Amino acid sequence: MLKVRNITKTFGNISALNDVSFNVEVGEFIFLTGPSGAGKTTLLRLLLREFRPDSGQIFLGDEDITKLKNKQIPLLRRHIGVVFQDFKLLPQLTVRENIEIALAVINLTRKDWKPRVERVAELVGVEDRLNVFPSQLSGGELQRVSLARALVVNPQIILADEPTGNLDWETADKIMELFDLINKEGKTIVMATHHQGIVDKLNKRVVEFKGGKVTKGGLTSSELKEEKKEEEPYGDDLSDDVNLEKNIEDRENINKEANADDDGLIIENRSVKKSSKKKTKTKSEE
Amino acid sequence: MANIHIKTALDHIRRSPFQALAAVMVLSITFFVITIISILAYSTENAIKYFEKRPQVIAFIKTEVSEEGVMQLKSKLENDSRVTDLKYVSKEDAHEIYKQITSSNPLLNELVNPTIFPASLEFSLTDLSAGEALVNELKSEEIVDTVGLTTNLGDEEELTKELERLRKITWYLRLGGGAFAALLVSTSFLVLLIIIGMRMTSRRGEIEILDLIGASPGFVRVPVVIEALIYSLVGTVVGWLAALLITLYMREGVVAYFDQIPVLPADSLSLLQIFGLILTGEIFISIFLALSGSLLSVSRVRKRR
Repeated sequence: MLKVRNITKTFGNISALNDVSFNVEVGEFIFLTGPSGAGKTTLLRLLLREFRPDSGQIFLGDEDITKLKNKQIPLLRRHIGVVFQDFKLLPQLTVRENIEIALAVINLTRKDWKPRVERVAELVGVEDRLNVFPSQLSGGELQRVSLARALVVNPQIILADEPTGNLDWETADKIMELFDLINKEGKTIVMATHHQGIVDKLNKRVVEFKGGKVTKGGLTSSELKEEKKEEEPYGDDLSDDVNLEKNIEDRENINKEANADDDGLIIENRSVKKSSKKKTKTKSEE
Repeated sequence: MANIHIKTALDHIRRSPFQALAAVMVLSITFFVITIISILAYSTENAIKYFEKRPQVIAFIKTEVSEEGVMQLKSKLENDSRVTDLKYVSKEDAHEIYKQITSSNPLLNELVNPTIFPASLEFSLTDLSAGEALVNELKSEEIVDTVGLTTNLGDEEELTKELERLRKITWYLRLGGGAFAALLVSTSFLVLLIIIGMRMTSRRGEIEILDLIGASPGFVRVPVVIEALIYSLVGTVVGWLAALLITLYMREGVVAYFDQIPVLPADSLSLLQIFGLILTGEIFISIFLALSGSLLSVSRVRKRR
């Protein structure tokens, strides 16, 4: 279903992804793990075609999405359900309308909205919250609504970027059970997370990132643990903690550079743009 | 789907009522002025037509001249490009006119001999500046007794002056009014541009979400265009309505003051028809303003992103 082939992406002189390759089969649930700044979110943004990779290919079905023209991007995104850490719901719309807007986007006739919305709302457990506004919901409920919005268009694949990042452990656990249930109903899910507990509990295949590279790409969480025990019998890889601070700094830089990407699909930080212009000027003056 | 877009547009208006009010007020003033200028242009145009179209010159034919002779002069005048609306009034016709005028006093009618009424040729001028030369030409015709003017504005020279003045007023009104209206339309366009630009900026987060779930650029644009159309159409109707009410209020006085000169239609239906035409034109301008303003604004904001 999803084939990522030798993807490389750099932002300025920072390498966000370096020769990343892996496959996701239909109906599979995989975790993208790794410390902050490892490249998980960059990969998800590439899958959503927020920007193009420097090299490599990404196949969703038979189509290489890296070659899509800008006007084809909305069509691609209508086949992908996205769930974000910060939910990204529209505050002025009710829960029902937040879910309906995804159907409006795909131009589904209005008479088909109600049954679809009610079905997904029931599936994610917000059927009694359809007429309230997001400000009246808890974090867990917001994430359920976000998931319902992703599911209602019956996407080929669901991308989730740290969906439990803003939730307490108990709520996160429930949300993960929901993702698991949806996966068991046949949906393909790619989830970026650094919650090791979640990854361990569901025991799905893990693609582990570190410094923009895939370090482990085909094992389940328990298999990975076994392998790590064999490699490092005295404990966890301490270098992760040592590199954490650097990773956070790298991630911030990546985000800034990403915003200045030439694709024009994402919001540019004008101040960043200005400063980069200044830098260019200074260099040329020199 | 349209409902979602309309709801979004109305939500935005509700959330920033003062911006909406500012837009509607500027547009109302613009279309009020445009309506008033249109009505003034209509009135002056009608006044000019009135003076131009009514018979201005009457050439009285000598009584002994045969009808054949008159017909020769008539045919000569018909071929003259300076002459329009030529009418031959025979002695009998003149007597009939006299009888109609004096119908309330039969004695006057009985006292006159029909043969004393001269036949005449009545016509208007296509260009009043040619009037003097033509009148002189007519005076030199053997069969013509005298040449007179039907106007009640005074003599020929005065009529020319009056019409020239009226034409100048109309020209200045059109030029000045057009320039003022263009200025107001430009201001309205800028106000729409700014308000829609602000709206787009405040909707950045929302647009980002819509982009991520696969909304086409058109889907993002529609509520903004609807919002601009609401401002524009409400502004148009308010401005037009204000002008209509003022005109209706003043119509009687204006019609009475100008007497026979039809600066405004005397009946309400005709007046409403004229205002209907003006409104139709204004709605086109208003739609053009809303579409161009909102689309330009959206494309500018999206380009910056």
